[in-house]
Amino acid sequence: MNTLAETYFRGYFNSIRVCSYRPVPCRVRLLPAVLIPLRRKHLGCWQTVRGAPGDSARSELQAEVAVIHVSQLTKYYGDYAAIRDVSFEVPRGKIVGFLGPNGAGKTTTLRILAGYLTATSGQATIDGLDVFWQPVEVRRRIGYMPENCPLYPEMRVAEYLRFRAGIKGLHGRRCRQRLDYVLNRCWLSEVRRQLVGTLSKGYRQRVGLADALLADPPVLILDEPTAGLDPSQIRASRALIRELGKEHTILVSTHILPEVEMTCDSVIIIHRGRVVASSSLAELTTRAGAETVIVVEAEGSIATESIRQLAGVGRLESEPIPNGTRLRVTTDGPRELTPRLCDLAVQQGWKLRELRPQRQSLEEMFVRIVEDEIPATNSARRA
Amino acid sequence: MLLAVRATESLMLAVLGLAGLLIAGIAIALIVGLFQARSLLRKEFTAYFISPVAYVMLVVFLAVLGCRFYLALDQLTQGGSQGIEFPMQYLFSILPRGIAGSKAWLMELFSSQAFWVVYLLIPPLLTMRLFAEERNSGTLEVLMTAPLKDWQVVLSKYLACFAFYVILWLPTIVYLPVLLDFKQVEWQPAWTTWSILFVGGLGAVVLAGLLTLLPLGTAGRLSAGLILAAGAACASIGGWFHYHTDSAHVVEVIAGIDPMPVLSTYLGLALAGAMLLAQGMLVSSLLGSQIVAALVSVLLNLAIIVGGLLPLVIDTGGTVSKILYSFCVPLHISQEFGRGQVDTRHVILYGSVALFCLFLTVRSLESRRWR
Repeated sequence: MNTLAETYFRGYFNSIRVCSYRPVPCRVRLLPAVLIPLRRKHLGCWQTVRGAPGDSARSELQAEVAVIHVSQLTKYYGDYAAIRDVSFEVPRGKIVGFLGPNGAGKTTTLRILAGYLTATSGQATIDGLDVFWQPVEVRRRIGYMPENCPLYPEMRVAEYLRFRAGIKGLHGRRCRQRLDYVLNRCWLSEVRRQLVGTLSKGYRQRVGLADALLADPPVLILDEPTAGLDPSQIRASRALIRELGKEHTILVSTHILPEVEMTCDSVIIIHRGRVVASSSLAELTTRAGAETVIVVEAEGSIATESIRQLAGVGRLESEPIPNGTRLRVTTDGPRELTPRLCDLAVQQGWKLRELRPQRQSLEEMFVRIVEDEIPATNSARRA
Repeated sequence: MLLAVRATESLMLAVLGLAGLLIAGIAIALIVGLFQARSLLRKEFTAYFISPVAYVMLVVFLAVLGCRFYLALDQLTQGGSQGIEFPMQYLFSILPRGIAGSKAWLMELFSSQAFWVVYLLIPPLLTMRLFAEERNSGTLEVLMTAPLKDWQVVLSKYLACFAFYVILWLPTIVYLPVLLDFKQVEWQPAWTTWSILFVGGLGAVVLAGLLTLLPLGTAGRLSAGLILAAGAACASIGGWFHYHTDSAHVVEVIAGIDPMPVLSTYLGLALAGAMLLAQGMLVSSLLGSQIVAALVSVLLNLAIIVGGLLPLVIDTGGTVSKILYSFCVPLHISQEFGRGQVDTRHVILYGSVALFCLFLTVRSLESRRWR
C-alpha cells in the first residue's frame, strides 16, 4: 500500500488517477493532485491506471504487428455506456470494415481513435503512439473523415484543401504537390474552383476523402464514406478505397454490407457497444456452425434416397421449380459433398442445371449475430 | 542604509529580469505556435470578409462615428467657452453635454449613448460565429482532429477577430489631421544618430512589408518577419530618443491640439476591444447557437455600459457609483484615455479579463473532448 504522499507524487508526474468510487469512472488530468478532494472513502479505490509515455517499448513492439491496437476501450456518456470493453487490432496494410447497426458505438470508437473524444477507460494506440498521451503526433498519422462530411460552404475546393494542408503542416511546394495529387486521385480536378456549398453529395464526400489523404497518412479512418451516394459513385468510391488499401491501412465504418464484402479484408462487428465478431471475411462466413448448403437444380425429378445414403448429408429439402426440382442439401460435417454429388449425378443420369454451394451472405450473418441467434464471442481478437 | 537599498534594488532587478525572461519565453512559444497555425489564422481572417455581416457592421459603425465626428468638429470650430481642449474626449463621451446652437437636432438624434450602444453590440456580432457556427455545422470535429493544439486554435481565431476589430477602427485615422488641427508639416535635415536610426527603422519596416508580398518560401517570410521586428524596434527606440533628446527634429508637425491623447485613446480602445472580444469568444464557445451567444454577450456588455448611463440619476460619490465606474468602459475611454491619462487600473482590468477569458476558452474547448 503506497503512502499518500508517494501516491500523490507518482500520480501527478506519472499517470492518470482513476477513482472508481463514483459509478462512472472518471479521470482527472492536469490538476495538481493536491487540488483533488480526497476523502477517506476514496482512498482504497484510487489506482493508477497505466504508466507514463515511458512504456513505449511495449508499444513499439505492438506497432510492428498492428497499426491500430485498441484494448478495453470504454466510453460512458453519463450513465449510458456507448462502448464497453472494445478490443481489436488492425494490422498494417489491411482494410478493415467496422460494422454495426446504428447506435452501436462505431462513431464513438472512431472519434476516440481520432482524438475528438476521450475514452472513459481503456487504451488505444496508433502506430505505437498512445491516443491520449500523444494526441498531436497521433493526429499527424491519421487521415480522419467524419460522418456527413462537414465542410465550409463558402470556400472553394482548392482553397479548402489548401487550408487543410496548411493546418496539417504542409506548406509551399510540398503543399502544391500533394494538392495536385489528391485532386487527381479523387477526381476533383474539374471542380477545383467551385464553391463547396454548391457541390453535390458525391463530390462533398470526395472532398472529405481528399482532405483525409492530404498529408499522406499511414492510417485512414473513414466514417461511412459512401453514405448517401448513388450506385455509380459507390462503385467509384469502392474502387478508390481498394486502391488506397495497397498503400495505407484503412479502417472503414459502414453499415452497407455488400461494400464490406467487396473491399475489406476483415471485419469487426460491434453491437450495443461490444465487439461481437472480429475475424477475416472467410472465417466469418463459416462461423455459423460450419454448415454449408449445396443447391442442386436439375430437370425432371430426382430420387432423393440415393442422396441420403451419402455420408455427411444432414437435411435435405426438395422443392419443385418450373421444369425441374431444386434440392438443398445441408452438410453436417466438414466433408466436401460436392464431388460425391457430382459422381452421383453422373451415375444416376440427372440432367443437372446447377450445382453450387450457397455461401451464407454477410448480411444474413450480420442479422443473425445482431439478433443474438449466434452467441457473441470475443475469441478472435486479431482480425 | 545605502547597501541595503542597493541590495533590494538588485533583487528587484533580478526578479524583474526573471519575469521578463519568462514573459519573453512564453511570447516566443506563442508566436511559434501561431506560426504553425498560420493557415487557420489566414482562413479565419478572410472568412470575415466573405460574410456580409462584417461589411454591414463596418458601415453602421463608421456612420455613427462619422456623426459624432461631425458634432465634435462643430464644437471645435466654435471659439470661446464652448471650444474643446480634448477632442477625443468629446468624440467618445457618454455623458450628455448641453449643446446650444444649430446642431442641437443632430445631438438629439445621436445622443451620447448611441455610439456606445452600437460599440457594445459589435464584439458579440463579431465573435458569435467563432465557435458556435463550427459546432452547428460539425466542422469543429474536423478542426479538433487536426494536428493542432487547442490553444493554437483559440489564439488563431482570437487574433483574426482582433485584426478585424483593428480594421474597423483604421478609417478613423482620417479624422486625425482635422481633429488635431495640423497646421503645418515641416521637413528639416536634422541628421543625428537617433534620427538616422528612426528613419532606417521605418525603411526596414517598409522593406519587410514589400518582402512579404513577394512569393518567397518559409525562410523568406521568416526573414521578412525578423526584418520587420528589428526595423520596428530600431524605429521606436530611435524615434523616442530623437524626439526627446535632440533639439531639431526631422519632421516638425505643428498641431493645434496635443496629439498624445490620440495615442492613449487608441490604446484604450484596443485594450477594451481585446477584453470584449475575448469575452464574446468565451460565450460563443460555451453556448450552442449563434444568436444565443450573441444575446448573452450583449447582456454581459450591458453591464459595462450601465455605469455610464446612470451617473445622472445616482449619487456619483457613493459606493455603488464607484463600483460601476471601475468597469465602465465608456467612462474610462472618455474621461481618462481620451484626456491622455493611461490608468494602469483600467489597463490591468482589460488585460486580465482578456487573458482569463482566453484561458477559459481553451479549457472549454478541451472539455469538449471529455464529454
